[in-house]
Amino acid sequence: MKVPIRMLGIITSVFWVLLIVFIILAAYSIKDLKFDIDEPEVIFDTNGELIFNLPIVIDNGGYYSLKEFNITTLLSNSEGLEISKANSYIPDIPSQEILTINHNTSLNLNDVFQDNENYLFEDDNLHVLLSVGVNFAEVLPSQISTNFTFPWGAPLSNFSLGTPNISIFNSTHSLVSVLMSYDNHAFYDLVGSIDIGLYNDQNALLDETQELIITPQQTSYTKDIELYVTNSISLDNIQNGYFSIFFSTFFEYGPLVIPFG
Amino acid sequence: MGNQNKNNRDAIIEIVYRILKASLKAILIYVIYVLVSPFIVPITEFIPDFFSSIESFLIIFIALMFLSDLTKDTIFQYFFNTARQIFVIGYLLLSMSEGVMSLSYENLILTVNLTIFYGIALSLSLLGFARSILQAIEYKSRKAEKEISFQSIQKT
Repeated sequence: MKVPIRMLGIITSVFWVLLIVFIILAAYSIKDLKFDIDEPEVIFDTNGELIFNLPIVIDNGGYYSLKEFNITTLLSNSEGLEISKANSYIPDIPSQEILTINHNTSLNLNDVFQDNENYLFEDDNLHVLLSVGVNFAEVLPSQISTNFTFPWGAPLSNFSLGTPNISIFNSTHSLVSVLMSYDNHAFYDLVGSIDIGLYNDQNALLDETQELIITPQQTSYTKDIELYVTNSISLDNIQNGYFSIFFSTFFEYGPLVIPFG
Repeated sequence: MGNQNKNNRDAIIEIVYRILKASLKAILIYVIYVLVSPFIVPITEFIPDFFSSIESFLIIFIALMFLSDLTKDTIFQYFFNTARQIFVIGYLLLSMSEGVMSLSYENLILTVNLTIFYGIALSLSLLGFARSILQAIEYKSRKAEKEISFQSIQKT
């Protein structure tokens, strides 16, 4: 009986030593594990989707490989509704290897603005839930998660149409001019067109025009919009009515109805 | 009279020898811990009271080991050995809870699934426990064998 007991003791001791050595090396490996986030890029694709490209550099200087590495980002609005979710998965990052992951989070602006037009006109905060999961050394599945807010700049912040001014243009037409202004608080340039229709209070289209816009990020846009109404229409007929506005840039939005009079 | 004095002196020498041996063993384990502890420093960034927990564990572990060495060749050695193994199992079970360790620092949450690690450690502790029990059985059977053979010699 003495020999089996001694063998059991030796085997147990050997495995304990191996386990302790593994824990020490694992702790030491965590020290040599480096994560770096490069300059994020914002790209527009042809489908009107805004893509945030986040290059993440992983330097696995530890003694063990990292398995099932995955990054998940979840964007939600202030009410907690999910706007976008993205996931990047790397099955294996071997030891002593440096790897760059391009984590792309796409945001369909059409969907965002259709769901809540406030994002078009009002600055807000988006909530980001970031979680990084990894199976360390194949025996220690770990996850780091964090949440933070991300400032959302409205592309048409403080959008306004002033009071229309009506003046006689020539013998056949009257000129209706209205001051349109907005601030582009977004982190992208606003390029596209705005269609403006002038309607009287009987819903009759009096005139329409299209304005091409190029508004760099963090700048303001101010312009007098000119519409021409035939003199056959009584001036009293255009004292009350509304403007119908369509935006066509990286996103399509409209009609935005702004009454006057 | 002279024979009894010699026996007493041998017993004192034996006790001193055992104390020295047990102390040296305990010091050796503590020195290993002191040498290894700098490698554990990265963990303390995530678990601030990790060191105090390990030190408490080590003090009890060394104390039980010291008592076990001191009571060598008696049944108490196996009691203390078994107690030490039960303590390791208990410590692992208490610190394990569901096998998932979750730590939060500012708005960062770190979750580590230690189920496999705890499983291995617990299995090794159970093996150690089984070994202690086997050693106790072996000690008792050896003692019984001695008594039987002594009785049979007396009869003849």
